[in-house]
Amino acid sequence: MGLYEVGAGEYFRNIRVRIVRAGLRACRRDVLPTGSSAMLNFFHRRQSSERLRELEQLSRLSLFVGLTHGEMKIVDGFVHERTFLKDEVIFDEGDDGEAIYIIFDGTVTICRQGQSEQPIALLERGSFFGELALLDDAPRMAQARAAENCTLIVLFRGDFLNLMQAHALIASKIALQLARHLGQRLRVAVRGEQAAL
Amino acid sequence: MSGAAYRSGPLVWCAILLVTGLLLFLFQKILWLVVPFLFGLIGYYLLVPLQRRLVLGGMSRDATAALLSAGTAALAVGLAVLALPWAGAHLGSWQELASQYIEGGLRFVADTLGWMETNHSFFARVHLSGQWTKYLGEMGGLSGLGDKLAGTYLADVALTVAAWLPSMLLAPFLTFFFLRDGWRFKKFLSDAVPNAFFERTLYLLDQVDHTAQLYFRGLIKLTLLDTVCLAAGLWLIGVSAPLALGLTTATLAWVPYVGSILGCLLVVLVAATDFPGDPAVAYAAIGLFVVVRLLDDFLFMPLTVGKSLKLHPLLTVLMIFVGGAVAGVAGLMLALPLLGVVMVLGETAGQIVTDPRLRARHDFARSLRDRQVRRDLRL
Repeated sequence: MGLYEVGAGEYFRNIRVRIVRAGLRACRRDVLPTGSSAMLNFFHRRQSSERLRELEQLSRLSLFVGLTHGEMKIVDGFVHERTFLKDEVIFDEGDDGEAIYIIFDGTVTICRQGQSEQPIALLERGSFFGELALLDDAPRMAQARAAENCTLIVLFRGDFLNLMQAHALIASKIALQLARHLGQRLRVAVRGEQAAL
Repeated sequence: MSGAAYRSGPLVWCAILLVTGLLLFLFQKILWLVVPFLFGLIGYYLLVPLQRRLVLGGMSRDATAALLSAGTAALAVGLAVLALPWAGAHLGSWQELASQYIEGGLRFVADTLGWMETNHSFFARVHLSGQWTKYLGEMGGLSGLGDKLAGTYLADVALTVAAWLPSMLLAPFLTFFFLRDGWRFKKFLSDAVPNAFFERTLYLLDQVDHTAQLYFRGLIKLTLLDTVCLAAGLWLIGVSAPLALGLTTATLAWVPYVGSILGCLLVVLVAATDFPGDPAVAYAAIGLFVVVRLLDDFLFMPLTVGKSLKLHPLLTVLMIFVGGAVAGVAGLMLALPLLGVVMVLGETAGQIVTDPRLRARHDFARSLRDRQVRRDLRL
């Protein structure tokens, strides 16, 4: 299968580019089939080598660090992949939080509702956000928007709870990464307060 | 999505009830597919925890689906092979056996009527036993009526079983495909949902899956608990084949109301036939059945199926009657699980449709995509 130069979000024969960053070299696994092709993709499952490569890429994401290959195969059955265009809203402040998002590709802005020009944080590949949704039922504390075209991995809270019931070891490894992340944020916040004093 | 918790209005509830009734009517037309589908789902929810353990052990999902399906099929074939000699030995005497049990039941009715007339003046005045004896005489006596009923209904039962057998063979195949492709199908469905509605749809899918899982696993646990209690009680009373009788009665209870009555009738028939001169055993069997039903309703049900469907009790009863009226016995069985699923779907759809922010976000995302694909197409 050869390589093709395709533009962001452009159509190529009957398939549309999934990773829509301009000028990206896309090979077969980087395109999202639409319409009947999506159905074909469901029934004709991806080749195992492609799945292995995807799992390997997933396991490099910070939330999944420490998971074995077998454990990643389990996690792969629980996560979803979504693509967002630049400026698209991922979730709003005040929304019911149902999922955690991990940036697979692209960047995401975290901001107050209606203040996208004054971002609180700019998150890059490998970062995750919306993690409080996994821990409690509280509404989202800020708005998340795609700063550029991006691909996100989504772990839904219900799936995480299923993971905790069925595979406590995997869930505890993910929870450990979450705790580390929250600890880092807490340290940064405390340092910021101390500096302000 | 944001703000106060959403509650479905009367319009959404009318739509939910209407869709449930319509689906029940349609399902009745394709019952040959719906029943194996249900059994396939039960098999899936029972085997999926084992599949997850095997996948964690390093096996692929496809391999685990094949292994578990083959294992279950082998177990079923093994049981059938073991049961065949017994069934073959009793094949000729089944009609005789059935008429014997029916005869025992009819005798029990006659004895009970006689006892009531002896002990209560009201029943003595009505003199039902005389009418009953006259009716039996017209039908050729106890054995004549027993033979007639057995001959009529046993052939129907045998024909029904033979007609259902091919479609029931679909159930293990469906379980295999649910195990192999269920997660892919869930992802396929969620991938088709626009970003703006994605989280809400995931919640919906999770709720449907969770409800179905609770319901079917609960149903199996409830059946096992009922079987154990009934079998233990029947064994203590001294009724023959307590385990088989307990399992059959517990399975019949899957059909609300009608199933319980049939189960009780079965237990009474066997007890009355096993102890023809001692109606106290049949009364004890009825007492046992009532106790188990009470345990079932007040203890086992909340522990197993419980509040999985979160339905109002009045709505539950009404829906069962509507199900029975629309689709007969199948409607009685399917009404509640179907209403549970349609309720989750309807409430979530109502929530999405009535949330202007979600729709605005979807419109915005569409315009972004539209702009993106038209970028180099300006005149």
